[in-house]
Amino acid sequence: MARHVENTTAVHDGLLAKTGLVRAARYIQPGEQTPDGRELHRRGGRRAEEFYRERWRHDKIVRSTHGVNCTGSCSWQVYVKDGIITWETQAVDYPSVGPGSPEYEPRGCPRGASFSWYTYSPARVRYPYVRGVLLELFRAAKTANGGDPVAAWAEITADPERAAAYKTARGRGGFVRATWAEVLELVAAAHVHTVAAYGPDRTAGFTVIPAMSMTSYAAGTRFYSLLGGTILSFYDWYADLPPASPQVFGDQTDVPESADWWNASYLIVWGTNLPITRTPDAHFMTEARYRGQKVVVVSPDYSDHTKFADDWLAANPGTDGALAMAMGHVMLTEFYRDRQVPRFESYARTYTDLPFLVTLRQHGEGYVPDHFLTASDLDHDGAAGSGAQAHHEQAHDEQAHDEQAQWKTVVLDEASGEAVVPNGSIGFRWGEEGKGRWNLDLGETRPALSCYGRPGAEAVAVDLPRFDVGDQGGGVLRRGVPAVRVGDRLVTTVFDLVMGHYGVARPGLPGDWPAGYDDADAPYTPAWQEQITSVPASAAARVAREFARNAELSEGRSMIAMGAGTNHWFHSDQIYRTFLSLLMLGGCEGVNGGGWAHYVGQEKVRPLTGWFTLAFAYDWVRPTRHMPATPYWYLVTDQWRYEGAGADVLSSPLGEGRFSGKSVADLNAYAVRQGWIASHPAFDRNPLDLADAADASGKGLDEFVVGELQAGRLRFAACDPDDPANFPRVLTVWRSNLLGSSGKGHEYFLRHLLGADNAVAAEECPPGARPAEVAWHDEAPVGKLDLLVDIDFRMVSTGIYADVVLPTATWYEKHDLSSTDMHPFVHSFNPAIAPPWEARSDFDIFSDLATEVSRLAEGRLGVRRDVMAVPLGHDTPDECAQPGGRALDWAAGECEPVPGVTMPRLVVVERDYPRLAERWRALGPLIDTAGATTKGVTLPVGTEVPWLASRNGTVRGGVADGRPRIDRDDLFCEAILALSGTTNGRLAVAGFEALEERTGVPLADLAHERAGDRITFADTVTQPRAVIASPEWSGAESERRRYSPFTVNVDRLKPWHTLTGRQQFFLDHDWMAELGECLPTYRPPLSIAETFGDQRRGAPDRPQLVARYLTPHSKWSIHSEYQDNLHMLNLFRGGPVIWVNDLDATRIGVADNDWIEAYNRNGVTVARAAVTHRVPPGTVIMYHAIDRHLQMPVSETSGLHGGTDNSLTRVVMKPSHMIGGYAQLSAGFNYYGPTGSQRDELAVIRRRSQEVEF
Amino acid sequence: MSGITGFQLWWWVILPYLALATFVIGHIWRYRYDQFGWTSRSTELQEKKLLKWGSPIFHYGTFAAISGHIIGILIPERWTAAIGIPETAYRWFSAGAGTLAAVLIIIGVAILAGRRLFVARVRATTSPVDWLALILLAIVIVMGIAETIGVGLLGHGYNYRQSVALWFRGLFAGSPDVRAIAHAPFLYQLHATAAWAVIAVWPFSRLVHAWSAPVWYLWRPFVVYRSRRATRPNEPGTSGRRWRRIGVHY
Repeated sequence: MARHVENTTAVHDGLLAKTGLVRAARYIQPGEQTPDGRELHRRGGRRAEEFYRERWRHDKIVRSTHGVNCTGSCSWQVYVKDGIITWETQAVDYPSVGPGSPEYEPRGCPRGASFSWYTYSPARVRYPYVRGVLLELFRAAKTANGGDPVAAWAEITADPERAAAYKTARGRGGFVRATWAEVLELVAAAHVHTVAAYGPDRTAGFTVIPAMSMTSYAAGTRFYSLLGGTILSFYDWYADLPPASPQVFGDQTDVPESADWWNASYLIVWGTNLPITRTPDAHFMTEARYRGQKVVVVSPDYSDHTKFADDWLAANPGTDGALAMAMGHVMLTEFYRDRQVPRFESYARTYTDLPFLVTLRQHGEGYVPDHFLTASDLDHDGAAGSGAQAHHEQAHDEQAHDEQAQWKTVVLDEASGEAVVPNGSIGFRWGEEGKGRWNLDLGETRPALSCYGRPGAEAVAVDLPRFDVGDQGGGVLRRGVPAVRVGDRLVTTVFDLVMGHYGVARPGLPGDWPAGYDDADAPYTPAWQEQITSVPASAAARVAREFARNAELSEGRSMIAMGAGTNHWFHSDQIYRTFLSLLMLGGCEGVNGGGWAHYVGQEKVRPLTGWFTLAFAYDWVRPTRHMPATPYWYLVTDQWRYEGAGADVLSSPLGEGRFSGKSVADLNAYAVRQGWIASHPAFDRNPLDLADAADASGKGLDEFVVGELQAGRLRFAACDPDDPANFPRVLTVWRSNLLGSSGKGHEYFLRHLLGADNAVAAEECPPGARPAEVAWHDEAPVGKLDLLVDIDFRMVSTGIYADVVLPTATWYEKHDLSSTDMHPFVHSFNPAIAPPWEARSDFDIFSDLATEVSRLAEGRLGVRRDVMAVPLGHDTPDECAQPGGRALDWAAGECEPVPGVTMPRLVVVERDYPRLAERWRALGPLIDTAGATTKGVTLPVGTEVPWLASRNGTVRGGVADGRPRIDRDDLFCEAILALSGTTNGRLAVAGFEALEERTGVPLADLAHERAGDRITFADTVTQPRAVIASPEWSGAESERRRYSPFTVNVDRLKPWHTLTGRQQFFLDHDWMAELGECLPTYRPPLSIAETFGDQRRGAPDRPQLVARYLTPHSKWSIHSEYQDNLHMLNLFRGGPVIWVNDLDATRIGVADNDWIEAYNRNGVTVARAAVTHRVPPGTVIMYHAIDRHLQMPVSETSGLHGGTDNSLTRVVMKPSHMIGGYAQLSAGFNYYGPTGSQRDELAVIRRRSQEVEF
Repeated sequence: MSGITGFQLWWWVILPYLALATFVIGHIWRYRYDQFGWTSRSTELQEKKLLKWGSPIFHYGTFAAISGHIIGILIPERWTAAIGIPETAYRWFSAGAGTLAAVLIIIGVAILAGRRLFVARVRATTSPVDWLALILLAIVIVMGIAETIGVGLLGHGYNYRQSVALWFRGLFAGSPDVRAIAHAPFLYQLHATAAWAVIAVWPFSRLVHAWSAPVWYLWRPFVVYRSRRATRPNEPGTSGRRWRRIGVHY
C-alpha cells in the first residue's frame, strides 16, 4: 500500500514538474502549496457555505399533512423561517409494516410538495369579504331597524328589489373587506331569521370528505346538527360512491390498504389511474411485479397507468360492463361448468347468495325471477317434499311465528333436498331470537348451488332483459334454468339464474344459448363483447382465464383496482357489479391480496365512531338532517325541469311499467314519501311550527302528521321544490369548491340557485313531459338562495359567486386529524404558523358563528321543538321495514302510512338555540347513556368520558357544566380518538364483544393484542400511528397482517350487512326488477343524442365534433392541491385544456394549442386543444376541476366568461339509487343515494376565434 | 478645450466618463447584490453542436481583436516609431492581423448569432439586457470589421493612432483630445460610441463573465483546501448572529 502511494506521488511529481507554471504560481497566489504541487492550502474563503447552511436553517420544522381531497395522507415536514413557511419535505416517519413487504415510504407527490405555495399565493383569501351592495343594504337596513341585524336581514330578503340587487351581482366582483364582527353578525342574522321564518332545515352546510381533516369537517356539521340544518352528502354527489358496494356488500366502501397490493398475484387496473391519483401508493404496484404479479390495465386511452400493463385492454369508454360480463361467461364456463373448483364452490356456498332460492313468476310464455324465497314462504307442513326431519319441523314451527321470517332467506340442503333457513340473513340481525345466530355458520347444512340434475327438477324457460340492443329500450333474452318446487312455489337458485343470464349452456335447458365463445350474436360471449368494447375476444377470454386460474392457485389473490373511469357512469352500479361478480366467483373477496380495490374519493375516517358522534352532535341530539346531495341539488337547482324523457326510458322490457308516466322527480317524491330516501327540507312547513301544531292538536305526532298529509294540508317539500316555502335559504360551503369543482349542472346552479349570469341553453320540459306529481310553476324561480357563505383559503368559483367569503386556515395552520384507506395510520395536522392575515381556522370560524347565533337567538328563537323526518336507515332495525322489496305506495292506498314503516320515521328533538354555542363546545351527556354507534354496533362508552374530562378539562357553568371541553381543535381531536375503536383498544374489544353477542362467533380476540392501547392526539403529532382492529371496519389488521376488507367476514363467518348476510349477485327489489337489474348486466352509456337531440349549434357547415366528454382526474392538480398552483401550472400548458384525438382534430381544423370551445345544451367552456393520439377518436378529455378563475376566456358561444368542466354536465338520477327500507338497500349518509354521474354526457367541440379576451 | 461645441463635449467627454463610472459602480453593485447571477448564462444545455464551434472561434477572434486594440489604441504611435516600426508597416500588420481576427469573429458571430436568433430554446433564454448588450456588441463588431477590412486592408487606410487613440488615451489621462475624435470618420465615431455603450451595459449583462474566466486553472494545484479562520465560536443556538445595537446590519 505504502509502495503504491509512493509510486503515485512520484508520477504526479513527474507530471507537475513539467508544468512549471504551478510551481511558479506559488509566489503570487495566496495560500501554501504542498511540496508535490498537488494541493493548495488556504485559510478562509468559505463564506459561500453560509448560503446553503442558511437555506437549511429553520426556526422550526412542523410535521403535518394535506387535507380534504387527497387519499395520500402523507406525512410532511413543514419548514418555517422568520415566521414564513418556506417549503415542505416528506417526513419519512411511518411505522414499519414489518418484514416481508415493502414499506410505505416514500410517500408524497409533486402536488403535495408544492402545497406551501398557497400560503402566500395571489388567490389566498386574506380578509373577510362581503359583496359591497349587500353590505350597504345590510348596514342601511340595520340602522333603519334600530340596530337589529335579524330584522335587517328579514327586511332585505323580503324586498324583491333589494334581494335582486345583491343576487344578480353574484359572480360580478364587488367584494369589500368587512370586519369579523360585522360579517359574523350578518351571517348569524341570516341563520336566525331563516330558522324562525322558514325552519332550520332551510339552512344547509356542504363540506366534503372528512377523513382528511376530520375536525374541520365536524366543526361545521356539529354547528348545523345543533341548529337543525341540512347536512349534505358528498360521496354519492361526487359519483365516487360505488352504489354496487351497498348493493352487493351492504357496506359503503371498504377497500384494502395499498400495501395489500403487494399480496396480489394478479392485478387488473380497471378505471383508476394509480400512478397519477394514488401516486404515493403506486410503488406497491411496481414492487409487486418483482414478486411475479401480472398487471392488466383496462383503459380507453394510453394513460400513465397503461404503461405499467403487461396486457392493455383498450375497451371503449363506458363499455367495461360488457367486457366483465364476457369474462364472467368464461369463468362460469371453465371453472364452474366444465370443471369444478372445490374452493370456488365452497366460497360460493358460504359467502355469496348463489345457493339462495329465488321464486319464479309466470310472465307470458316463460318465467321471470321474482323474489328471494323466505322463511315466511315455508309452510308448516314441510315445504320441500317429504321426509322432513324433526329439527326442521321445529325450525318451521319457529319460523311460522317469527316476525322476522320475511327477512330470512332460504337455501336447499344438498343432501336432503330440504328447504333450510341458514343463519346469517338479516332476519337474525335485529330480533331477540336472532341473538347469537347472525353468522355464516352453515352447520350440518350443505347448500345446493344448483338445482340442475336434482330429483324433481324441471327445466324452466326464463326471460331476462338485455340492454345491448334497441337503443335504451333493450330486449329480452330467453334462457333456461333448472327449478324445483317448494310448496307451491317454483324456485331456482341464484347460481342457476346467473348461469342462465351469463349464457352458460347446460344440456337439457330451454332457451337460446351461445354456440361458443365465438358466437358474436349471443350475450355474453367474448365475441359478443368484442363488437361493443373493441377488445379482441381472445384477449378477453385469456385474461378471464388467467384471472380465475390465478385465484384458484393462489386461493383468491386476484385483485381488481377500480375507480372513476368505471364508476363515474350513470350505470356505474351495473359496471361494478359485473366486476364484483368476477371477484366473488373467484373467491377473492375477504382475502389478503384479493378482491376489489375501489379508489376514487374513498376516504376512510378510521376513528369513525368518535368522529361521527361529535361531527353530528350525537352527544346532544339524535339524529341529524343527513341529506343525499344529488337529489338536493337536482331539485333546488331546478335541473329536474330540463329532463328530456320520462323515467320509464330506463325500464326493462320485462318491467311492469312502474315508472310509466313518471319523471325522475316524481320517483324521488315517491321515495321520500315511502321513507326510502332523506329529503330536507322535509315538509312545506317550518318543522318548529309543525311540532307546536302537533302539540296543540293534542294528538300524537305521528297521528297528527299523517292526518295533515292525508288531508293535503301538509305536503312533502320534494313535491314542490319551486314553492318559496321550500327554498334553501342559507348555504355554507367549506372545505370544498361546490361551484368550481363538484357542481354537476354548474350553469343551472348559477341560474336557479343563485340568479347569476349563466349559459344554460336547454329547453324546459314541454307540457306533456312534465312531472305528474311534482308541482310545476310556469316560471321557474331564479336566485332561490338568500345567502351563500364560502369558507376557503382560495378565491375560486364558489367564492366568486358567494355573498360572503371568509378566510380560513390552510392545512399548515391548524390542528386536525387525517386518515385514509390507503394506509393504516392516523396522524395529525399541526400548525406551522398561525393563520396569517385575518384568516381563522374552520374550527374557530364555526365556534365564533355558533356564539353569534346563540347571542342573536336569545329572545328570538329560545328553546324549540323540531320535527325531523328520518328515512328508514341502513344498519338500524328500520332496514327491515318493507319486506319483500315491494314498492307499495300509501298515497295510492296500497298500504297504510305508518311512520317508520311505510313512511319516514318522525322524531322530535329539542333545539336550545341560545345554548347552541355552549353545547357546541362541550362533549354532551347523551353519549354516556346511549353510547356511540357505528354500522349497528354500539361501542359502550364509559371510562372515556372521565378520562377526557381530566385530559381536556371541563366546562364550568351553563348547560354543559362539568362536561369535557372540546372547544379547541386539538381537544376536539383528542375526543375523536378517545371515542373510537380504531384508536382506543378498550372500545375495540368492547365493540367486538357486543358484536359477538349478536353473531355468536369469536371476534374480540382480533383486538386483544392491543386492548390496552390508546392513541392520543400527542401520539399522532409525533408520528403516524397504526390503528387497532375494530368492529367499525370489516378487516382484521395487525402488524402481521395488512388490512383487506371483509377478512373478518371470511375468517370469522361474520355476515355482510345484506339481506342474505352474504355478498349478493341477486337484488330482488321491485324497482330493480323494473330496471332489469336484478342480476349484474351490461348497460351501455346513456343515449344523450337520443334523449336530447342534436347538441350542435350554429352554422351547419361549420366543422364540429360531437364526442364523448370525459372529465378524469388530472396529473397536475389532484389531489393534495388544486389546478391554480403555479408550480403545477408550469408543468403542463397552465390553463384549461381539452385533449382531442389527432384525427378528430384534423377533421374540425384544430391544431395543437388552438383555442376551442366545448358546449352542449347545458353550457359552454373554453380551452386550448391538446391534440394527441393517446386519446381514442370520438372521445375528448377535460381534466376535472378546471375552475373559471384561471385563464378562462370569454366564450364566443355564450358571450360570458368561460365555464368550468361541469358547465357541460347535468345531474341525472338513477331510480335504483333511491330504493330504501329494504335491507342493504336502505338510506345512509354517503352510503346509498343517487350519484352525480357525469361521464355519459356528450360535448360538441369547435375551433373558435384565436383572439381571446379574459 | 476651446473650439469645441457643447455637443462634442457631451458626446466625447461626459458620456464616456458616465459609461466608465457606470462600468465601475455597476460591477461593484452587481458583485454585492447579484453574485449568484454573475454568470455567462451559458446556453450549452439548450444547444451544443453549434456552440462548440462558434464559441471558441468567436472568443479567440475576440482575444486577438482586443490585443490589436491594446497595440493600436493604448500604445502611442511614437513608442512604436521609437523602436523603428514605421506607420506603413504598422498599418499592414494591423490590417493583416486585424483581418485574421475579423474573419474569426465573423465566422464565430455568424454561428452564435444564428443560433441565438433561430434556435428557439436559446432565444427563449435570452433576457432583454442580453439582447441590448449583444446588439451593441454586434454594432461594435461590424464597425470594427469595416474599419479593419474596408478601410485598413482594402481602402486607403486611416491612421486612427493619430486621432481616436489620442482621444481615448486622453480620457484616462484626464485631458481627452476631443478634436481628434470629433474629426475622425463617422465609422470610427460610431465604433467608439457603441463601444462606450457596451462598457456601460457590461456590468448588467452576461459580459461580466469575462472577469470570471478561470484562467488560474492553468497554474492552480489540483486540490484547494480552505481551512476555517480561527474565529470566536457562535453563540449556542445561533447562526453567528449576535446581539447588536439596533440598526446595525448583520
